[in-house]
Amino acid sequence: MIRETIGRKKRRTKKAVSGTWVWFIFLLPTLLGIALFTVYPMIESFRLSFTKGAQEQYVGFENYRHVLGSGSFHQALFNTFYIAFFQLLIVIPLGFVIACLINSLRRGRNFFKVLFYIPNITSMVAAATVFLVVLHPHGLLNYALSAFGIPETIWLANPNSARWSVILLASWHALGFGIIINLANLQAISPDYYEAASIDGASRFKQWLYITIPNMLGSLTILIILGWIDGLQRFTEAFMLGGHTGSPARSLYTLVGFIYERGFGGLEYGVASAASYLLLILILAFTFINIKFFRMKI
Amino acid sequence: MKKKNGTLALTLLMLLGMLLSACGGGNPSSNAANASQPSEEKGGSTAEAASAETTGLTGTLKVQLIGGFTEEDKTDPKTGLKTKGVGALKEEFEKRYPGAEVNFVLMGWDSYNEKTQTMLQSSAADVYQLPGIATFAEQGLLEPLQPYIDRDDFDLNQYFDGQVDGWKAMGPEDKDLQIYGLPFIGDTRVIVYDKKIFDEWGVPYLSKEPTIEEILEKAAKMTGKNPKTGEQNYGLTFNKSDAADTVMNINESKGGKWGTGFLWKDMKLEFNSPTMVEALDLMKKAKEYAPEGVMAGQGAENFLTDKNNVAINLRSAPGFVTDIKTNGTEDRYDAALLFVNPEEKMGGMFAGSPFSIGKSSEQKDLAWEWLKFSASDFYQQFMWDNYKIESTPVVKASTEWASVKEIPQMSVVLDAMGRLWAPRYPYRSGQPRYILSENVEKALLDSASSQDALDKAQKDAEEWISSQK
Repeated sequence: MIRETIGRKKRRTKKAVSGTWVWFIFLLPTLLGIALFTVYPMIESFRLSFTKGAQEQYVGFENYRHVLGSGSFHQALFNTFYIAFFQLLIVIPLGFVIACLINSLRRGRNFFKVLFYIPNITSMVAAATVFLVVLHPHGLLNYALSAFGIPETIWLANPNSARWSVILLASWHALGFGIIINLANLQAISPDYYEAASIDGASRFKQWLYITIPNMLGSLTILIILGWIDGLQRFTEAFMLGGHTGSPARSLYTLVGFIYERGFGGLEYGVASAASYLLLILILAFTFINIKFFRMKI
Repeated sequence: MKKKNGTLALTLLMLLGMLLSACGGGNPSSNAANASQPSEEKGGSTAEAASAETTGLTGTLKVQLIGGFTEEDKTDPKTGLKTKGVGALKEEFEKRYPGAEVNFVLMGWDSYNEKTQTMLQSSAADVYQLPGIATFAEQGLLEPLQPYIDRDDFDLNQYFDGQVDGWKAMGPEDKDLQIYGLPFIGDTRVIVYDKKIFDEWGVPYLSKEPTIEEILEKAAKMTGKNPKTGEQNYGLTFNKSDAADTVMNINESKGGKWGTGFLWKDMKLEFNSPTMVEALDLMKKAKEYAPEGVMAGQGAENFLTDKNNVAINLRSAPGFVTDIKTNGTEDRYDAALLFVNPEEKMGGMFAGSPFSIGKSSEQKDLAWEWLKFSASDFYQQFMWDNYKIESTPVVKASTEWASVKEIPQMSVVLDAMGRLWAPRYPYRSGQPRYILSENVEKALLDSASSQDALDKAQKDAEEWISSQK
């Protein structure tokens, strides 16, 4: 009896394998692509991070020590965190508020969804080029600010205002994504809650405060986690506005900018690889902390 | 069903196989079947290889080019001018060397050093355009050219002064600088000024070789409301991204230099010398006459057009002659020479591109013929006629070309070509370049004094250099 059961199980497994192996063949191109273009470069980069020069002389942890002790790396770290922090501080609450407003509309919801999402699908290079015009001393931003009596600012010539220019550009670009994610969550909240609250006499504000916000924590958490991962990898916006040296005075020099300059500017592949791995560790650690802090289940 | 799945899987595998085989390159050895063998395989020296016959060379020659080159003819979207593709060079070379076939590997400027490094290591071409020549020579990836020059008695005097010296580099075994590349694209910087603004302010034009003091004095006079038009004028402008190169050039005019040595292990920098500090102070003074947005690369967008409001541009690339032709402002703008070290009689960052031969090339003799071809009137004139925006001639014969003579500003540009600092600043191929730029920028933004900024640049750059030893 037992032997028969085992035999049946074996036959079922064999049948299942023979019936599905073909689908593994379909996965092969993707798996090969991942192995060749993701896994292999990562392993190679890890090996390079322990070498120096074109001869790839083994130097142990020297590159890691060099990166961690480098003033320009510290500067890049500060800029990256500064820009990411303030961008998230703007995008997440603003995205939530705008999503709530769009959600409360009876007409034109789709129009506003499209309107706010367009920047997110715009090429960052193209958007940054337009921002260079907007941030020009005689550009749109200064013109608008002058209407309120605010004096002309050379946005990209001062380290602080240059960082805020990048924050502005990055926020404008990311806002649409924040709105769409929030809207999706808002639409998933059961209308029964609001109906019950109305019957109990809760005002619109109280409904928003006690029903909407608690139900939004999941999407807000995912936006914070994705936002930090994205923010720590910032490059294009800073590169477009500040060039490869992160001008002015390295204020737009980010961690990826550091990797780019060392790897592609000076052919210091060892240093660039070590910095890449440090960035990876930083992202992993930060994501782990975020998940733990927001008690998110992944 | 089982049979259907099997057929599907087989088809997929075949498709994958085809895809992967298409990714692979051709067999280079088959292309070089008739080519002369590399010197090592003959058991002889490079010099022996160089003494091989140069006639009757056959086989495929792979030439790598970087920039806006195309094989086919194209139309410039800005000027509307027709540009011939480099296919014309291939055609001419193959006509001169029957049996030879030229294949181009064309690529853009993005990450060109990394791509070139990979190509050199995998023998993906025979001839390379190598603006970063020193890095590759140091790794022993390039063929020394002196034996070929001696063998053919090739005349280096046909190039502008300093053009060959500017590209000299050192191989791993070399005790001094050697020729690993010959120039084919020239580049320089000149001072360009708007004569109309000078006239409106009643200020005499710049002399052909102005000093920085002359420039500052005239720029000061032309900063403010234009007496004729009433619009705001600025005395000068400069490119924030190469402000450190301008400072270095002013330093040279004061008798200073960047430092000494060539390889990192021998290099001594002079970033905080008294002349450098003086040069940076003068640059800070110059900033007072520039548009407010100069440190953001803004405010001088109309330079070279008829709406311009800036009198002098401290560093213009030779491509400005194309811009003024396109804008119809040829008569309005003129050029003056940048500064030189009074003792060395040279100054300014050496730039452009040389051609080199890969050490592992199997077509070295044919590659050498390509290098010689690149100095010919045909090649140089082709580049000038079709790629003016990115290529200035490197041969003295160009001064006699009608197409050069018809542009008055070109005499200054060609003069400038022969005065560049040679060999090119070697500190620019590593971190010291970025360190100097960063600190010069800080001083220009008034976040550090000139002395402090340059002391920091010197300290950081020395530390980096010592980490390379």
